[in-house]
Amino acid sequence: MDNSGKEKEAIQLMADADKKVKTSGSFLGGMFGGPHKVEEACEMYCRAANMFKMAKNWNGTLLCALFHTKHAAGNAFCQAARIHMQLQNKHDSATSFIDAGNAFKKADPSEAIKCLNAAVDIYTDMGRFTIAAKHHITIAEIYESELVDIEKAIAHYEQAADYYKGEESNSSANKCLLKVGAYAAQLEQYAKAIEIYEQVGSSTMDNPLLKYSAKEYFFKASLCHFIVDELNAKLAVEKYEEMFPAFSDSRECKLLKKLLDAHEEQNCEAFTEAIKEFDSISRLDQWQTTMLLRIKKTIQGDEGDLK
Amino acid sequence: MSSDFEAYEQDFGTLTAEITNKIGRIPKLGGKEKTQLVLNVDKQLEEVRELMEQMDLEVREIPIQSRGMYQSRLKSYKGEMEKLEKDFKRSRIAYSDDVRNELLGEDAGSSESQRAHLLDNTEKLERSSRRLEAGYQIAVETEQVGQEILANLHSDREKIQRSRDRNHPEPSPGLRPRRHHPPHHHSGHLFQCARALISPNALTHTHSVSHTHTHKTRTRMINSDKSVCSGVIRTNGAHESLFLGPDRGLSL
Repeated sequence: MDNSGKEKEAIQLMADADKKVKTSGSFLGGMFGGPHKVEEACEMYCRAANMFKMAKNWNGTLLCALFHTKHAAGNAFCQAARIHMQLQNKHDSATSFIDAGNAFKKADPSEAIKCLNAAVDIYTDMGRFTIAAKHHITIAEIYESELVDIEKAIAHYEQAADYYKGEESNSSANKCLLKVGAYAAQLEQYAKAIEIYEQVGSSTMDNPLLKYSAKEYFFKASLCHFIVDELNAKLAVEKYEEMFPAFSDSRECKLLKKLLDAHEEQNCEAFTEAIKEFDSISRLDQWQTTMLLRIKKTIQGDEGDLK
Repeated sequence: MSSDFEAYEQDFGTLTAEITNKIGRIPKLGGKEKTQLVLNVDKQLEEVRELMEQMDLEVREIPIQSRGMYQSRLKSYKGEMEKLEKDFKRSRIAYSDDVRNELLGEDAGSSESQRAHLLDNTEKLERSSRRLEAGYQIAVETEQVGQEILANLHSDREKIQRSRDRNHPEPSPGLRPRRHHPPHHHSGHLFQCARALISPNALTHTHSVSHTHTHKTRTRMINSDKSVCSGVIRTNGAHESLFLGPDRGLSL
């Protein structure tokens, strides 16, 4: 298939659609007078946008053309969405905004976020919280990866979790909450992180499907406690063992106890030794490594003070 | 008396030294020399036994107080003699190392091979412990993968339950949590509104419902009454296509 051919066709279609929209006069009049024209314009925008999308798939080497086409696809979808809005077709408008958002994701993230926000507003207006939550997650992911604004990402994840809770989708809510917790701990908002992890841990420990993941959440909560204060961590570990007996058998619990002892004695080597042993069996992930490093620094910090 | 004893002891010492020497040589020799040596050693062992008896008699003549020391010495000599006899017996039937080496083609003594054997064993042990460690790691990884799968299953289960509840709404109304929002995209509700469309008050129903459904419904309804029926079919068809479509219109 010929890329340039498709592109030309698409550009042609957009021009036609623009013309149609202009000739149909005011939109209010367009409703009763020429709805067909506006609808057709709408459809043409969509087709043009799809053709842009296709064009980009066939020719990946012309990067600037790609950029242009993605922009164009996004713009075309935006136009379609606006028309739908004015035709009071909220549903279609929202879907077009989503398409626009997806198209913009690769080209211009901030535009994508604008479109996605608009779509989410429409969905919450219509009362469709589940799908709104799903798109909050998409927005949060963009903030995570491309725009790197962790605070906003947290806000969106939280919003998504609230919506999911409202819709009784507890596992999706938990997924979002976990992300909130992880980022909160990274940003040193430990109280929040602890609360989230404890909550998720206690809700999963009874569920037969999820109880095997509960120990991980308690481990993370204990780590956050540990950073704040060692005594907190001790009490917390005891509390979790009481709540959830299986936790005391897990390797994580044993590691925590060793770390607590090492920290009490201010023994940096024993600390590192215990961590190395744990790591040799199952690697610690990025988040855990960061937290443990912070805890380790508190030991070394104390040693530095003694000097 | 004790000097006799000491004289006996000296003799004993020299004799045992000679015997050990000869015993050492016996395996290496063969044939006539061997038999000669064997006879020699035999004779010397006899002398040693006689010495032992003499020493015994001597010790008995010593007064009881100082007997203890001599008795213990005597005991040790007896033990030595027995050991010599045993060695003598073994040497007569034993092959010497040289002959064995020649036959089996080994170099250096058995001590070397023992060392190698031990090293081999240690290595085997280490290999097995490494394998066990690896096995344990794999088990832990498997557990983690299992956790993720279970979490996914749980979330899928919720989705399926939710969509099933929507499609087959329970008969008891008013128990739905989201009462303040009209339920959207229930196909149950769908059929109800389709029925409503067919009823005489089609237009009023249409208006309240249509802004939540496809624009196709609305435009068809508003344009003409007679197209109500076709609109209904269109609605169902449109909705079905929406419902079956990928992401559009289906909230999960």
